[in-house]
Amino acid sequence: MNMLRVRQVLLFLLLVFASRSVIGADEPPPAEKPIGNVVDHFIDLKLKQENITPAPQADDATFIRRLTLDLVGRIPTAAETKAFVESTDPEKRVRLIDRLMASPGFVRHQATEFDTMLMYGTQASIRDYLVQALTENRPWDRIFREVLLPEETDAKQKVAGEFVRKRVNDLDRLTNDVSVVFFGVNISCAQCHDHPKVEDWKQDHFFGMKAFFSRTFDNGGFLAEREAGVVKFRTTEGKDRQARLMFLSGKAIDDASVREMTADEAKKEKDRFEASKKAKTPPPKPTFSARAQLVEMALQPEQREFFARSIVNRIWHRLYGQGLVMPLDQMHSKNPPSHPELLEWLARDTAEHNYDLRRLIRGLVLSKAYSRSSRWQGEDAPAPRLFAVGAVRPLTPMQMAASLQIATAAPGSFPALEKNEEFEKRIENMEASVRGFASSIEQPRDNFQIGVGEALLFSNSDRLQKQFLGDAGDRLLGALKVIKDEKELVEVAVRNIYARNPTEEEIRVLIAYLQKRQDRPIEASRQMLWALLASTEFRFNH
Amino acid sequence: MAGQRRGFFCGSLDHSLSRRGFLGAAAAGAATFATDMTALNVLQQPAFASELKKQQKRVILLWLAGGSSQLETWDPKPGAATGGPFRAIQTAVPGVQISELMPKMAQRMKHTCIVRSLNTKDGDHGGGAKLMMRGRRDEANVQYPDLGAVLAREMGRVDSQVPDYVSFYFATEGRGFAPGSSGFLGARYAPMELTQSMIPENIRRLADINDLDHAERADLRDLLSKQFTQGRVNSTTSSHNEAYQRVRGLMSSEKLFDISQEPQKMRDLYGPTQFGEQVLAARRLIEAGVPFVRVARAWWDSHGQNFETHQEMVPELDHVMATLLDDLEQRGLLEHTLVVTLAEFGRTPGINASLGRDHFASAWSATLSGCGIKGGAVYGKSDPTGNRVVDGQVGAAELFATIYRALGISPTKNYYVGSRPVPLTEPGTKAIDAVLA
Repeated sequence: MNMLRVRQVLLFLLLVFASRSVIGADEPPPAEKPIGNVVDHFIDLKLKQENITPAPQADDATFIRRLTLDLVGRIPTAAETKAFVESTDPEKRVRLIDRLMASPGFVRHQATEFDTMLMYGTQASIRDYLVQALTENRPWDRIFREVLLPEETDAKQKVAGEFVRKRVNDLDRLTNDVSVVFFGVNISCAQCHDHPKVEDWKQDHFFGMKAFFSRTFDNGGFLAEREAGVVKFRTTEGKDRQARLMFLSGKAIDDASVREMTADEAKKEKDRFEASKKAKTPPPKPTFSARAQLVEMALQPEQREFFARSIVNRIWHRLYGQGLVMPLDQMHSKNPPSHPELLEWLARDTAEHNYDLRRLIRGLVLSKAYSRSSRWQGEDAPAPRLFAVGAVRPLTPMQMAASLQIATAAPGSFPALEKNEEFEKRIENMEASVRGFASSIEQPRDNFQIGVGEALLFSNSDRLQKQFLGDAGDRLLGALKVIKDEKELVEVAVRNIYARNPTEEEIRVLIAYLQKRQDRPIEASRQMLWALLASTEFRFNH
Repeated sequence: MAGQRRGFFCGSLDHSLSRRGFLGAAAAGAATFATDMTALNVLQQPAFASELKKQQKRVILLWLAGGSSQLETWDPKPGAATGGPFRAIQTAVPGVQISELMPKMAQRMKHTCIVRSLNTKDGDHGGGAKLMMRGRRDEANVQYPDLGAVLAREMGRVDSQVPDYVSFYFATEGRGFAPGSSGFLGARYAPMELTQSMIPENIRRLADINDLDHAERADLRDLLSKQFTQGRVNSTTSSHNEAYQRVRGLMSSEKLFDISQEPQKMRDLYGPTQFGEQVLAARRLIEAGVPFVRVARAWWDSHGQNFETHQEMVPELDHVMATLLDDLEQRGLLEHTLVVTLAEFGRTPGINASLGRDHFASAWSATLSGCGIKGGAVYGKSDPTGNRVVDGQVGAAELFATIYRALGISPTKNYYVGSRPVPLTEPGTKAIDAVLA
């Protein structure tokens, strides 16, 4: 343990030294400095080098919308926004962060986000497991372990096993998905040939990683692993090779189990597996689990760089709209981070604090870089990788659906904020009611393009009308019906939907729209609400 | 030579000259430039719209879902033990014979080439359909766009008033195996899929809003969005506004789907079948500038009673396809329109105990007609029993490279998935030069 500590300190000193040689003048931040300050230190340093003055801090209304979307997956209610904007507490941003992170919505939203990250493209979900794990704030390394090595006698953990089970029939995919999701590297090119441009990735890496999984299979709904097995492949030069159990770093384990099983062994083992299949119980574990070896190796202090950097980069990407390394699955030597020292610092800090993702998220949203305005006033906006201006990010399906529901609820229909439990319960119910609608919205990916299908859905489907734009008393339209003053009506609508006050120009334009339709005021208001909901401002987190 | 062709131009000197003129004028007219010239806003340049109308290339894919039998269509084996009861007939092209179930196409073989040597190695409905829709297999982390999505991207226009990928697939059999998919190209190029109604989903205004309000509501949305996007432009916010800007145009394209707009005489020519009506709708769509339409006809999966199934379905295919080629030719559209017949695989030469033919991907046929194709050509050869390819074996990749080349698109063109270049077809893939005009 002590030795480990010494080694970590040495490693850190080495990094410090390396950073200094790159940055030059400024002192690197010490390990105990708050994450937000460290972020600003490195981001500002780079901006200074590039001679760029970043965008100013976002105003309070913009900040609470951004933060509420990021932390709990929805826009704030008009009452939440008002309370926050009007508060004179100098620490109100920190208090807001802590309130949202303590709310049950935080776990729900993080679970949805991690479920998408882990299960995208599998048509399966491990969200139930994630809700449980995140409620307890389980460290990321433990989640990683439980996802790859679920204790399947425990019903809750068995759900986590879907990650492997859904992919195990295609080992190439399992191998690559694990590399992409947990280690930030895509080695699929190296399946057929050494990577043409990245010398880090050879066929040996792909098949080395595959060797950790090649003994795993689905045994009647439970994960089973054989005692021995070997992965063979043919190189581009036509040589036949046997893969070692080799991690991405190049570190390999040689074990006697890397061999073909004899027919007799295989037969006996098969009988054992068949017996557990019949009994519907998890099969016996192998004496030497190759899959478990991967987990152990990936978390070793000397090897953990992939694991730690990848989760930091992914969380950063989620909150800042752009990874420190882009694309997220191309973390290799030919594709350096925008801020190498920052990534190293965060990765080390996260690893040393038990992979506590709550701590990381809280730190990242406390930076000035996170809370900048997303509007660039000058000519050409600086490259996104400089983080000089706040990101404009498309809402996820669930953010979109939940936000539609909150935006179109009558402002008076929410329990008072002081009645915290009731308020949270209402929000939870509202979220639950729109899961169906969420499935009609596409999950954003890199270089995401919004399709015309969504615009047609908004423009001409009766679902929007039925679910969100009715005029019953608990809906926004129902509340607007009884407001006589047009200016007030517009203000209530804009505050509910945009979570800010309308501009003078907006008031003028929207009143004009309503006045032109005085013979049908409800229709006029409904159309105005539609225009606000379908607008780009609502569609994005800014 | 053909590999250098771009966009919707054939690559001849005439066309490249007029293209230059057209580019200059378009630039002067402050047309919108997007990432490549296929995105030019040319329809707003009336002088060039008519030229475009002639030059723009289109594709109609007749998707024979379930796997039609090559022996009862394009590669008959009369007299062989595997040949079945139908004869082969001479076509208008000397030396080329097809099944007697296709007398009308036999008369029109001068427009069509047959590829008889597909060996695609996947006899599974799902795997085969994906492979033949995309020309390649997905990788662990790369979901490839299908033919329609690639062509929507290559031949469609950013601000198009019409959809750029339409798919008709009404039958439930096999639909889940062969969904249109834009893969990594994203939702912008996803198909407009018609599965129940001849009119696309959400294309019609709801009754409770009048047309003027619908339009002005959209203008209001646009105005609010413009204020927001000032100083906040990125490709995703732009795509949001472009999507809404296409709504009104797409709504006005509703009549393109409405075949009752066609003279009764024309409807009679295509016939009263669902397939005939959808192919007629496809012709209306491509005529209006839709670059890609798929019409699926299901279900060819004749594990039992293969010959009855084909006796019923092949004459319909024969009739509708022949009518389509005639119609396109008479409208001057055939030389710019590629008509493809394709399925997930063919059927076994061996006849099973239920007098059926099973899944078979080792030696089967597809056809290409019209644009860029050497009509009357037959490429490749299966052995006398139809069990294997003996000459000119090709897979999905080669077929796709050929389709791209026929349309003037370079099969080696790269897309980028993150930083990784992904060529349209696997490196080293050769198009079938022998069938290209």
